[in-house]
Amino acid sequence: MPQRASADVEPPELDSARLPGRLASAAAWRGIVYYADATGEAPAETFLDACPAKVDATFNAVLEAVRAAPPPAFSGGGKWEAMHGTMAGYYEVRVTGPGRRHYRLFCILDNGTKQELAERGFAAPQIAVINGMVKPNAALFSDREYKKHVRALGDDYLARLPRPIAE
Amino acid sequence: MVATRPTTKLDTSRHNRRLARRLAEDPEFKAEYERQQRAIAAIDAIVNQLDALRAAHALSKAELARAIDKNPASVRRLLTAKGNPELATVVAMADALDADVLVVPRKKSTGRRRAATRLG
Repeated sequence: MPQRASADVEPPELDSARLPGRLASAAAWRGIVYYADATGEAPAETFLDACPAKVDATFNAVLEAVRAAPPPAFSGGGKWEAMHGTMAGYYEVRVTGPGRRHYRLFCILDNGTKQELAERGFAAPQIAVINGMVKPNAALFSDREYKKHVRALGDDYLARLPRPIAE
Repeated sequence: MVATRPTTKLDTSRHNRRLARRLAEDPEFKAEYERQQRAIAAIDAIVNQLDALRAAHALSKAELARAIDKNPASVRRLLTAKGNPELATVVAMADALDADVLVVPRKKSTGRRRAATRLG
């Protein structure tokens, strides 16, 4: 069962405060949201809750770095990559965990005009975190897995106004 | 008159709240998060600085690759997306030894840089 965030915890000002000046100023304008399915559950948050602490921490550090310096700048320390082929339009965060298991977090950059963002429920562009998957070393995800666990959710996210996110 | 859809402002603070909670409750998470922040910032700074210097020298990535006898794909990879495992290792080793890895541009142009520029 995923743990829920308590509403009385302050946002982590530590993140932008630790970044160099240019990045700190950029950190204020982009958000990070978790897609929520029809039941209100956030698959990506459930995935992160189930990850080893170091993997969860690395995912969060990469997301924060990309939030601060989004593409086309190089950011994320090489762990943030644009995907191609049937996964074009998605970005993945790649982290290797214990036992050389490969953890992947799949995201969409949700950007648009001010009016488009407002219709989506946002005041600023967002990194929408859709879901995560894990595989053993040297294994590959099939396109069927990508479709079922990522693209179907991402399509649902992109089809709805306002966006379905965990609040 | 332009019709606009009614808008709902969503609460986008869930990630911030989760991150704050994880940092507060789990020392292992906090230590790794801060270590990764340092490593990512160092790698991003090195790659972005090298790419800015390449642009300042008016060299394409392929021209830079030829100047150092490397495959253009390896330079493209380093300066665009996939990063460099060896660079990540160097940055991690430096961090463990309480040191930073820096790119320091020379003040005066050298013969090597002029040769590289001629390739353009």
